[in-house]
Amino acid sequence: MSRATVVDELLKESEDTTPFDVNLSDFLQEAGRISRSPKKDLGALIKSSKQKFLQLNNQWMTGVFINKEELRERMLLFWANHFVCRDSNVYHMQLYLNCLKENALGNFRELVKAVSKQPAMLKYLNGRQNRKNNPNENFARELMELFTLGEGKYSEQDVRESARAFTGYNHNFKGDFVWRRWQHDLGQKTFLGQKGPFNGDDIVDIILSQKACASFICSKVYAYFVNPQINEEHIRELADVFYKDYDIAGLMHYLFNRDWFYQDENKGVKIKSPVDVLAGMYRLWPYELTDETAYVKIQKLLGQSLLDPPNVAGWPGDRAWIDTNTLMIRLKLPSLIYNLRLNDDMSSGMRGIRKNPIKARYNPDYVTFHYPEFTTDSLSRLVISEKIGQQIPLNHFMGKSRPLALVRLMSLPEFQLS
Amino acid sequence: MKRRDFIKTTSLASGMLMVPSFVKAFDNIYQKAEGVKRLVIVQLSGGNDGLNTIIPYQNDLYYNARPRLAIKNNIIRIKDDLGFHPSLKALRDLYDAGEITIINNVGYPNPVRSHFKSMDIWQTAGSSHSKHQTGWIGRFLDQVAQHPYEAIEAGESLSLALKGNRISGMATEDHQMLYRISRDPFINRVAAHKQYRHLSEHNLDYLYQTMIDARSSAKYIYETTNTRASSVDYPQNSLARQLKASAQFINSHLNTKVYYHSLSGFDTHANQPGRHARLLEMYADSMAAFVRDLKKGGTFDDTLILTFSEFGRRVGQNAANGTDHGAASNVFVIGSRLNKPGFYNELAKLNDLDESGDIKYTVDFRSVYSAIIKDWFHINDSTIIPGDHTALKLFS
Repeated sequence: MSRATVVDELLKESEDTTPFDVNLSDFLQEAGRISRSPKKDLGALIKSSKQKFLQLNNQWMTGVFINKEELRERMLLFWANHFVCRDSNVYHMQLYLNCLKENALGNFRELVKAVSKQPAMLKYLNGRQNRKNNPNENFARELMELFTLGEGKYSEQDVRESARAFTGYNHNFKGDFVWRRWQHDLGQKTFLGQKGPFNGDDIVDIILSQKACASFICSKVYAYFVNPQINEEHIRELADVFYKDYDIAGLMHYLFNRDWFYQDENKGVKIKSPVDVLAGMYRLWPYELTDETAYVKIQKLLGQSLLDPPNVAGWPGDRAWIDTNTLMIRLKLPSLIYNLRLNDDMSSGMRGIRKNPIKARYNPDYVTFHYPEFTTDSLSRLVISEKIGQQIPLNHFMGKSRPLALVRLMSLPEFQLS
Repeated sequence: MKRRDFIKTTSLASGMLMVPSFVKAFDNIYQKAEGVKRLVIVQLSGGNDGLNTIIPYQNDLYYNARPRLAIKNNIIRIKDDLGFHPSLKALRDLYDAGEITIINNVGYPNPVRSHFKSMDIWQTAGSSHSKHQTGWIGRFLDQVAQHPYEAIEAGESLSLALKGNRISGMATEDHQMLYRISRDPFINRVAAHKQYRHLSEHNLDYLYQTMIDARSSAKYIYETTNTRASSVDYPQNSLARQLKASAQFINSHLNTKVYYHSLSGFDTHANQPGRHARLLEMYADSMAAFVRDLKKGGTFDDTLILTFSEFGRRVGQNAANGTDHGAASNVFVIGSRLNKPGFYNELAKLNDLDESGDIKYTVDFRSVYSAIIKDWFHINDSTIIPGDHTALKLFS
């Protein structure tokens, strides 16, 4: 198969969207009951909400693991760390994730407009408190600084004026967008050099007419998919393509067809996120953590609780994933999940780990059946990015048992890179 | 030239591969230059109700705002107008000895009432609008530290407060376990193999460098910590366990400048009285045991203890016999070299609240941090604490 065909396949696989569908009918019923009688004990609701958040988180992890719509899942992780949002209402959070997922490969213009009207976002960045007589600039500021243009591409006056355009945005209990006419400022606004009685959508259109917006998004895509070290020439090339129509799928199609995308200098340079590490292990040797809370716990230990981002700027990624603790956990994790002691060899017989805190289900024969003809060498090429894998003196490390060899490969610092 | 590069080039040039001995040599010079002062931080997570901690027991406004929740009995009367919650008996001795400064109304402009955003602000020394990716302790480490163990968090993961650009602190719940993990024979082999290679700026070398740092820090803590158990009795709770471990490190004279701890559960929206009383008792009793332990070890004079929470709580109680998220609240500073022991300032007026009904701040928390960096550690605070905050006169 040629490269172009593979890329087309990749995009085609992700044409559909499987939405998150945690069943929230009980939760909504309970929430509705409590909203009618505010003196009721909140305990049951909080408990049910916690449970639902776990399910939502696990559904997200499963989606990334199974990877039926590979590129869409990948883009969802990307956008969720771009349009960062957090909400304590699980129903609104599921709506938000579904909004990102549906638009993940669609049009960036529609995506921004949709995000600006999501209940979770209206709460997170105080859009609901943004009223004609008392504007709140939080959303307008982050919209430009983090979501579209980047710092320094707008003035404080632009922040104030655009905040006025987003006044009156609200939502109802069901999560539908509601525009409150009497709280909206219908007056003239001067924004990025243009004048008019702009509303929020107009502001998004004006922002996107700036080439800086296309460049900003392309830089983030590049750092995430290609190399954290930005190549300005490549960004210009991508921005030219993206600026034409802001079609996300089009941008990705173009990106994956560049020769430079596949060059050595872009291999083995990205530090995997915790979720990527967990998914990477799954793809090599499928497993399932048996405790429902285990995924959330491991995410927290590794510093990436998917539904609990650190702040509106999201995870900075790259080297910020790694500190002494997270690295030691990353190196220890494969042996815990597959319950193998790293220093065992076939000669001594393999023993499990005493007091293993992680309980996982996996097929112990998977490696033997799935990689029947593999040598340590070819196994290494599968596990570790080839550019950096050549330097490992494999014989020195690997021993005889194939499952142990696989787990050892996953326990090398090299496995943390892609 | 960065020290890491220096070690690498020197060791390669001389054919020496014993990196740890180099590191040790540097340590000795460094220790003499900087002294051994240390900071212990206790974070009360969830938003401690400052008004029911340090109580304006003569103030009708307080009793009117909290008909059911106000503390009426057994208040430990400290001043004409302010007293301690009955659970804070153990702090009374510190107060009488002039070893605690209570700073009232500490906060920041445009207070944020979300737990995690406000906690971010406190941990990064940021403002309502800033988005720092490093913590104030992390930036302090950037200036002074060479090893992750120079700031230790008692816990399993590292808080933003301890993350720096160049170097971050480390978290450990159990330093012996950490040592065992880092000594895994397989990881030994991997690390040994890597020492023979030149380390560059590539991310892979960054990973190896971090791995080597983790191992040497785990080894340092393990080997330097005195194994003899403390003779001081600690209460049985999570904060006491954390503080006990830190006291052991401190009394073993680890070259660690910051110890970070937290006690959670202060988010008392409903049925506050019993829970809050228990939490305050845990805090005060653990703190008293910790101070005793340090005094026995002769390390108290060089230790400063800072206690904060991400916000206080609303002045008026809510319908569920609890309190909602508030704004400014009190901060405790414990040590033996305090300039103004007792109360640093008056409690803000309870008839002049902000639009949410919360106490207005009169002391910016960053001016407390500034004092710690400048006047306790004697380090320039300009890159560590952003903005222009005049340091409080906390130390004599």
